[in-house]
Amino acid sequence: MNNILIAGVGGQGNILLSRVICQLYMNRGYSVKTAENIGMSQRGGSVVSFIRVGRELAPIIPNGSCNLLIGLEVYEALRNVSKLNVHSKITLNNRYIKPKDAKIRKEEILEFFKQNFEHIFHFDAYHIAIELGVPKAENIAMLSLICKNSLLPFSKDEILIALGELLPQKVFEINKLLVEKIFEKY
Amino acid sequence: MKKVLMGNEAVAYSLFINGVNVATGYPGTPSTEIIETLKSFSDDDFYVEWSVNEKVALEVAAGATLAGARSAVTMKQVGLNVAADPLLSLSVIGTEGGMIVFVADDPGPHSSQTEQDTRNFARFCNLPVLDPSSPKEAFSLVRTAFEISEKYKLPVIFRMTTRVCHSNETLEFEFKREKRRISRFEKKPEWVILPGLSYIKHIELEEKLTKMRSELGRLNIIEGHGEIGIVTSGISYFYVKEAIRGFENLFSILKVTVAHPIDDKTILDFAAGKRMLIFIEELDPVIEEEAKLVLFENGVYVPTYGKRNGYVPFAGELDVDKVKQTIYNVTKKEGLLAQKNFVNAPEIPRRQSQLCAGCPHRSSFLIVKNACRGKDVIYTGDIGCYTLGYAKPISATDTCLCMGASVTMAQGLKLADSRKKVVAFIGDSTFFHSGITGLVNAYYNRHNITVCVLDNLTTGMTGFQPHPGVGQKATGQEGQRVEIAEVVKGIGIKEVLIIDPYEDFNLCVQKVKEFIERDGLSVIIFRRKCTNLECYNSYYRINEKCINCKVCVNTTGCPAISEDEEQNVFIDKTLCNGCGLCTSFCPKMAIEKVVVNE
Repeated sequence: MNNILIAGVGGQGNILLSRVICQLYMNRGYSVKTAENIGMSQRGGSVVSFIRVGRELAPIIPNGSCNLLIGLEVYEALRNVSKLNVHSKITLNNRYIKPKDAKIRKEEILEFFKQNFEHIFHFDAYHIAIELGVPKAENIAMLSLICKNSLLPFSKDEILIALGELLPQKVFEINKLLVEKIFEKY
Repeated sequence: MKKVLMGNEAVAYSLFINGVNVATGYPGTPSTEIIETLKSFSDDDFYVEWSVNEKVALEVAAGATLAGARSAVTMKQVGLNVAADPLLSLSVIGTEGGMIVFVADDPGPHSSQTEQDTRNFARFCNLPVLDPSSPKEAFSLVRTAFEISEKYKLPVIFRMTTRVCHSNETLEFEFKREKRRISRFEKKPEWVILPGLSYIKHIELEEKLTKMRSELGRLNIIEGHGEIGIVTSGISYFYVKEAIRGFENLFSILKVTVAHPIDDKTILDFAAGKRMLIFIEELDPVIEEEAKLVLFENGVYVPTYGKRNGYVPFAGELDVDKVKQTIYNVTKKEGLLAQKNFVNAPEIPRRQSQLCAGCPHRSSFLIVKNACRGKDVIYTGDIGCYTLGYAKPISATDTCLCMGASVTMAQGLKLADSRKKVVAFIGDSTFFHSGITGLVNAYYNRHNITVCVLDNLTTGMTGFQPHPGVGQKATGQEGQRVEIAEVVKGIGIKEVLIIDPYEDFNLCVQKVKEFIERDGLSVIIFRRKCTNLECYNSYYRINEKCINCKVCVNTTGCPAISEDEEQNVFIDKTLCNGCGLCTSFCPKMAIEKVVVNE
């Protein structure tokens, strides 16, 4: 069983990323269930996606059962720690969108993660996507970095196949370049 | 065909495969994607539309079924309130072709006004209701629903919840449409509802329900042999299965797929020999109450635990952890509870949903507020993206009740608090949905209010569906455009102003100010396409003239403008859509336009 949680804010491409990961598992023949928050939360609110690989599962990940956290935004990653356990792998995008009235500073968040978890990975998907000229593709940049570092078992080719199945041609081409460059360079 | 499908998509595929002829609906989270998926299919005996509201949608589908077509109508739970009138009468009249009424409930709620339970609505209407637990089950139950409807000549309510509608699952199926011959409309006295007929039909309806009870009992699922019985339904079935993992031998599960009419035999068979029954269901204790009646009538006593004695919460959605806690509280079985949580995680304030960067509504709200400066004003709001106008710093929504209520509540507020100016805000799709009748009332009864129609030429909140004011149909084909201003003038209202909220801010304020100072009923249409559908090829940036006064941040609340780590104002160019509203408030001309060449 594999439980993946994607945490971010509206507009970061959370739901598309969830679809891509779902497709990647499906292409390997796994049974997948996902759940997403759609609606009011899209307008700049918190967005969470749950991906669960295996049969007979509820779509929402129970507390303490998440294996991999994809933190597209760090405050949102922190918001979902109840789903994690000490062995969970945590990936954090270098992206901070502070909620209004949040008192905690980014150094304190990073310290909290360091104190409580064994496996933390920092990826600068946000700036890499900007550098490669596609700021809106930080979601796919994050996925590429996660796979390149073997935190998810998918190859570059598998990612490209899944993207090809899900994206319109023009958008696919842009993302393809991004994925290839990340696997080559970063 | 193997595909990952969302619950709503699974339903759409299954409808098409099972030969649906006419599908209608009004968008509403979490139901929208059924029609959104259906509109991409085509066949010569298949028709799909976004209707003007849920009542209209249900009546169109009802007409089609009387002529023998298989029809489907989709809505969210509050939409069923709007469609209640035709549905209740249809339960008396009955149907000819199969008819399914899809209603999406929203435990939580995630994006709704109420946490109402459509299974209770089914009890109220005396109609059968199916309650699938997963996209897969929803897919297969569509066929069953048509069969039940055609056999008993009644509409079938197909109730889903957010976590079924919006969860995705891998499905494998043959994508082949069943071809059916549609009979023609046959004239019969029983299609005309009259009191005498209703009495006879009521007797028939009760007889049908009695027959249905035992027949539909087969759709319920019983698993396990443990002596603690858990009765559950919908998505909660999976929460229960996961919660008791490792302890399966202690429990038996009854998953009730048909909550109404409930099958007495299923309940009695399941209860036999059980030490206790635990009822785990979201929203209302529908099965809990129905089952207790069955047990009572048959003189069976089993201790029961559920909502009525406080073991399961009434409000909000359930999850695996809540269900585990309930089962533990009842059974005190060691080892059931989850491992420790990080309870010491720092609290983070909720992220407030907000109007998008470049949203024309922001501009419209601020124009009206500036035009009303110095006056005592009540702002009534409505359902849509612009409900977010309540949030600071815009704060231009003092009430919000239901679709269309901005226009009508404004009239009542003005009557009771006549010294204040009352301004109503209503969206374009909402105007067509249920704003027009309220406006007729205001004109007829001489109510002294101003109605602002925020026309962004789409149904924004649910994902950009077209509506009569756009003229395009759900399928993308051309329909007849209905011009809001002509509707307003057609009522007889003389004072109508159309404004582009992206025009010069101060000029707009001046125009609106002159306009609303006149006495009597007036309507202002703020028309500018939704920022998500328009690309202006430009963004704004802060230049060196900025004195960091933060007027732009504090006036607009635009998500593209914020403070960086050093608390200097900056504009996020990935978010900025180039509307330029912020420049209207800058005292130092420190915000400048950057044109992007593409």
